[in-house]
Amino acid sequence: MLADYGYIGIYLLLATLIPVSMLLIPWALSFVGVKPHNPTPVKLETYESGMRTIGGSWIRFNFRYYYFALLFVIFDVEVVFLFPWAVYLDKLKLFGLIEMGIFILILMVGYAYAWRKKALEWS
Amino acid sequence: MFPADLYLLMPELALAGMAIIVILADLVLKRRDLLAPLSLIGLAVPVALSIVLWLKLDSIDPHALSGFSGFFVVDYFSLFFKFLILGATALVIMASRESVTRFSRFQGEYYALIMMASGGMMLMAAATELVSIYVALELSALSTVALIALLKNSRSIEASMKFLILSAISSAVMLYGMALVFGLTGSTRLLDIADRLTSVSELIDQPALLLGVIFIITGFGFKISSVPFQMWVPDVYEGAPTPVAAYLSVASKAAGFAVIIRVFFLAFGSLTDEWALLFAVLAAVSMFIGNLVAIAQKNIKRMLGYSTIAHAGFIMVGLAAIGREGELLGPGVESILFYLVAYAATNLGAFIAVIAISSKINSELIDDYAGVARRNPFLAFALAVSLVSLMGLPPTAGFWAKLNVFNAAIETDLVWLALIGMINSVISAYFYLRVIKTMYLSPPASEERITADLPLKAALAIAVIGLLFIGIVPGFVMDVVETAVGTLA
Repeated sequence: MLADYGYIGIYLLLATLIPVSMLLIPWALSFVGVKPHNPTPVKLETYESGMRTIGGSWIRFNFRYYYFALLFVIFDVEVVFLFPWAVYLDKLKLFGLIEMGIFILILMVGYAYAWRKKALEWS
Repeated sequence: MFPADLYLLMPELALAGMAIIVILADLVLKRRDLLAPLSLIGLAVPVALSIVLWLKLDSIDPHALSGFSGFFVVDYFSLFFKFLILGATALVIMASRESVTRFSRFQGEYYALIMMASGGMMLMAAATELVSIYVALELSALSTVALIALLKNSRSIEASMKFLILSAISSAVMLYGMALVFGLTGSTRLLDIADRLTSVSELIDQPALLLGVIFIITGFGFKISSVPFQMWVPDVYEGAPTPVAAYLSVASKAAGFAVIIRVFFLAFGSLTDEWALLFAVLAAVSMFIGNLVAIAQKNIKRMLGYSTIAHAGFIMVGLAAIGREGELLGPGVESILFYLVAYAATNLGAFIAVIAISSKINSELIDDYAGVARRNPFLAFALAVSLVSLMGLPPTAGFWAKLNVFNAAIETDLVWLALIGMINSVISAYFYLRVIKTMYLSPPASEERITADLPLKAALAIAVIGLLFIGIVPGFVMDVVETAVGTLA
């Protein structure tokens, strides 16, 4: 039992050593003069090979996005359930159909609720 | 696939279905005042179905129906708690009509959420598997978070936020404990855990198992508002709508104790020496902290909050008394169930009176209750009787409840704990009596009569008659409790 934790210990040691050594090796090599140092503006960007950054990340954004995120999650989860259900429908038979019907009905109540309570209106 | 077992879940399913119907009705109906009667009718359905299941249990032997591969059980014990929770919910709904009109935009949500929370609590009382217990617990906790925030003022939202964060932390710790227990025993089903603990003797000595048990107590301790997980109670009771606080103090506590009894008896029955002592210490500390801090409170909802912490302590005396038995089910469990019934009637009585009085005088300060007896004798009398019952004086339910619990403690050689309980009853008399004194002896601030609507008065009358009935004829409830506990093992 305790020996098993030993492996976790070795793993932790390795996991620490690798990143630390990756930082230390270039630093050590720079003394020998092997590591070149010629920075350019492109190299110093936040995402060197990614999208060009626009503005800062500390900006305000509309709180109402949260409603849409929530509704998205509802339907996302529905789809996640629908795929395996559709694959096995021939084995689940009528019971599966009824069960999924109830599940979708409950989600639809949530949707109707959001609609009637004007959560979808952008004003 | 268990379509054949679905009928065991009928009360819970019916309740969830009715909650959805209430939401839809709220979207369609123009008349908001129909929602309360609709919810009450909605509660009658699960009650009727529970009665059907109870009658079915009578005809079979052993008196228990287990379903979903042992995840869920219908026995007298779970049905007992379902009736208790549904009854408390019905009284709270009856008493909350006027408070609900203050949630202007969120009336349907209030009824639907309180029904969903009840559904979660009913599942808690019937689940026999750790993950199901956790899911049921979260269902009731998340519904409660929304309920607490319904007033939408800063105090209410702050209370809701505190409840959410503390509930999440205690759930996380509890899940860790469940994971430890699962890791050591290889099952999440309570009966399998018990089997493994008795058959593999070296498991008992594992420190990790003890750690798991203590972590699980964290999650349940939060639900029953025991020290040291009581921090949320006064703030939440003060900030939440008063009916929600009433609901929390009664239903949530009953469900919490139901699940504690089931988990600790069925799963950890062979570890009684360890957890009984723990519960004894927690009981003593809860009683002292609850009662001593309640003395300093000026707000009646905060006072009742600390009082509920103290009562969690009194009930936990019964849990400690179980452990010393050696045998599984003793007088301790019965005394807990009796206490919960008595406490439900008593505390609902007190809270409903507070709902009526505070909403009219627009204050929750005890000093502003001066002379309420002259402004509405019925409300003042009901509150006074409820407080006397909380003190534990005859001829009220509280007297028998405390007597049973202390009796169980003495029978199991926990004389010191019974003594601490008695000392605390005396301490508690001080702050309960102060409210009665203010209501009856202080001059009223105005002569204007305090009025209350009919459903609230009816709910209050039911609670007060209930607590007096239990106080004068305790045998009836005691019989039901014995039946409920009889099928537990």
